[in-house]
Amino acid sequence: MFTQSIITQFFNGFSVVAILIIAAVGLAIIFGVAGVINMAHGEFMMIGAYVAAVVDKLGGNTLLAIPVSFAVVGALGLLVERSIIRWIYHRPLETLLATWGVGIILQTIVKLIFGPELYYVGTPKFLAGGFRLIGRLPFPWYRLFLIIVAAALMALVFYVIFHTDLGLQVRAVRRNRAIASCLGIDTARVDMTIFVFGSGLAGVAGAVLAPIKSVSTTMGFPYAVDSYMVLVLGGVGNLWGVVAGASLIGEAETILSFVFNNVIGELLVFLFIVIVIRIVPKGIFGYYERR
Amino acid sequence: MKRLKRRTFLKGLGAGISGILASRTMPYFFVRNIAQAAEGDTIKVGILHSLSGTIAIIETSLHNAELLAIEEINAKGGVLGKKLEPVIEDPQSMVQVFAEKAKKLLLADKVVAVLGCYTSASRQAVLPIFEQYNGVLLYPTLYEAQECSKNCFYTGAVPSQQLDNFIPWIINTLGRKKFYLIGANYIYPKETNREVKALLRKHGGQLVAEEYAPLGATEFSTSINKIASSGCDVVFSDLVGDQIVAFYKQYREYGITAKDIPICSPITTEQEIAAMGSENAVGHYTSFDYFQSVDAPENKSFVERYKARYGRNAVTNAVMQSAYFATYMLAHAIEKVKSTDPDALIFEGLPGQEVQAPEGKVKIDEKNHHTWLWGRIGRANEQGQFDIVWKSENWIQPQPWVPYLYPGKACDFTDPRVLKRLKRPWSEEKNRSGTINL
Repeated sequence: MFTQSIITQFFNGFSVVAILIIAAVGLAIIFGVAGVINMAHGEFMMIGAYVAAVVDKLGGNTLLAIPVSFAVVGALGLLVERSIIRWIYHRPLETLLATWGVGIILQTIVKLIFGPELYYVGTPKFLAGGFRLIGRLPFPWYRLFLIIVAAALMALVFYVIFHTDLGLQVRAVRRNRAIASCLGIDTARVDMTIFVFGSGLAGVAGAVLAPIKSVSTTMGFPYAVDSYMVLVLGGVGNLWGVVAGASLIGEAETILSFVFNNVIGELLVFLFIVIVIRIVPKGIFGYYERR
Repeated sequence: MKRLKRRTFLKGLGAGISGILASRTMPYFFVRNIAQAAEGDTIKVGILHSLSGTIAIIETSLHNAELLAIEEINAKGGVLGKKLEPVIEDPQSMVQVFAEKAKKLLLADKVVAVLGCYTSASRQAVLPIFEQYNGVLLYPTLYEAQECSKNCFYTGAVPSQQLDNFIPWIINTLGRKKFYLIGANYIYPKETNREVKALLRKHGGQLVAEEYAPLGATEFSTSINKIASSGCDVVFSDLVGDQIVAFYKQYREYGITAKDIPICSPITTEQEIAAMGSENAVGHYTSFDYFQSVDAPENKSFVERYKARYGRNAVTNAVMQSAYFATYMLAHAIEKVKSTDPDALIFEGLPGQEVQAPEGKVKIDEKNHHTWLWGRIGRANEQGQFDIVWKSENWIQPQPWVPYLYPGKACDFTDPRVLKRLKRPWSEEKNRSGTINL
């Protein structure tokens, strides 16, 4: 009985890992490449979720909401980058404060438009229900869908970074900005593209998480915190770090919460992160510059 | 020189923008207040609910309900021939701001009373201020009780009013005995669950497990797996806010229906159901003094007026109903004592005050400052409303200290010992509680 439940928990853990990956991947490339500490990441996700709510109201479902959210939040990212971020690249403290402010502004704007109440987003009909895996509980189709979305997003990001010209430039800028610039790469344009791409991914995250979570103006912050934990643990600047960080946190949290309880589980995970960071300060897959 | 100019320009621009924003976003009542104040001869009432920040979702609805009541009272000629003038402050969901704004309302605006607060934390932050400056606070939220302050009147339910009938009903009528308790990790759920556990012992229920989720946590797959493998046959949830929506959604996602294991809650309202979609709530139970579906002419007209004022999609709920009738109680109390003196209101005006509320006739207890309310159990239906499956035969006495957990404790403001203590000035005696040992 107990073993069976633990195995169920292990599969549940995959869905939590997927949620963490989905939430963190947009942040990972913005933080990892452009070096911007984007405190508005949670609010970008929130806007993605509200876009999904609007799409839902107009009769569309999550599959339609994904590209729409990507476009809307990507456009928003472009606006923020062009108007604010581009003036303060490479001044981490300023970007932190500025994006924090952007987050508050976005929350207020959304509240003015949609009102303060929670919003409803339904699960698409063909993803309702679940299939029997092991134990008493069915595994929900929507959770499987989240795992697929997480894998697809990672695949997309890997493809863009390792198999496109843009990706080549991104990697060059990441390695050595000055030399890349000397070689004729327009680093400002690379930064902008990455910021827009990362913002769009945050929008997708909001859209796919909306059906199983609650949609409100303040929903974003906890996701931003989770995402930063994933990055800090996994290591900034390496995409495998996102996978590693999310897997460790997600599985540890689900298993520990099951064995002990939610509060202790969360506490142990934090403790674990502190210890790991003490041993490898740059995270598990941290990128160490040559000195 | 150029720098200076640019700065001046930016300053001017900033002022201009904030001016535009203020005129665009400030609710119209600010404007109207000025007009009213100009007429003079008004009675100022403080309204202290967060209109921004994390708790704004629910507090805005309380704020709305109170304003609606004030408008109605004024339309009928006001109080003592004067109009009530709402003085609105936004404490931004921050406890320390609640304290500052409460002080401002009492000392600078000299309001006769304040309608306000939602969370226990905010109430506890402002109470010392009300006690020190002898103000009157009407607090509309259901809360964990075990408190009574001279300066506070509690118009929401205490746990015993919601649970004393609910738990035996679950055990005897629903026939579910094995309870799984899940709540948010803070004072209200913990104290409520203490009473639930005492009632389980009393009525022959069985506690399978008790679990708390960190505030703000919205991932419940683990808890749901635990629930399914625990062998319980009913879940008692005092999760709050966003958590409610996420929990009910994921509960159905994992294929557990209300027929298998129903969720019973003392806090899930119509508002959360609207946010989660009625399909996720169908068949689950909530215990409250008031539901929007209460079949009474007073309620139908209240819901109608609320929707006419705040839009067709607006939903009413128990807490805002408490805030609504509290406003009427205050107005009637001022009429009764023909004065705005706080001690007159506290000792004569408000105790025993009765009004015909949307939920039925309610009354502030003569002794303990809490409110006699009705008991109702609702089952969520497909329309996102509650079908009322049980209603108390009479209103239920409020017990801030329930005898089965705190024998020998009670709250009584008519007790000579308490009165003697309260007569002394605050500077000499800071204890303003009405709690006595029997």
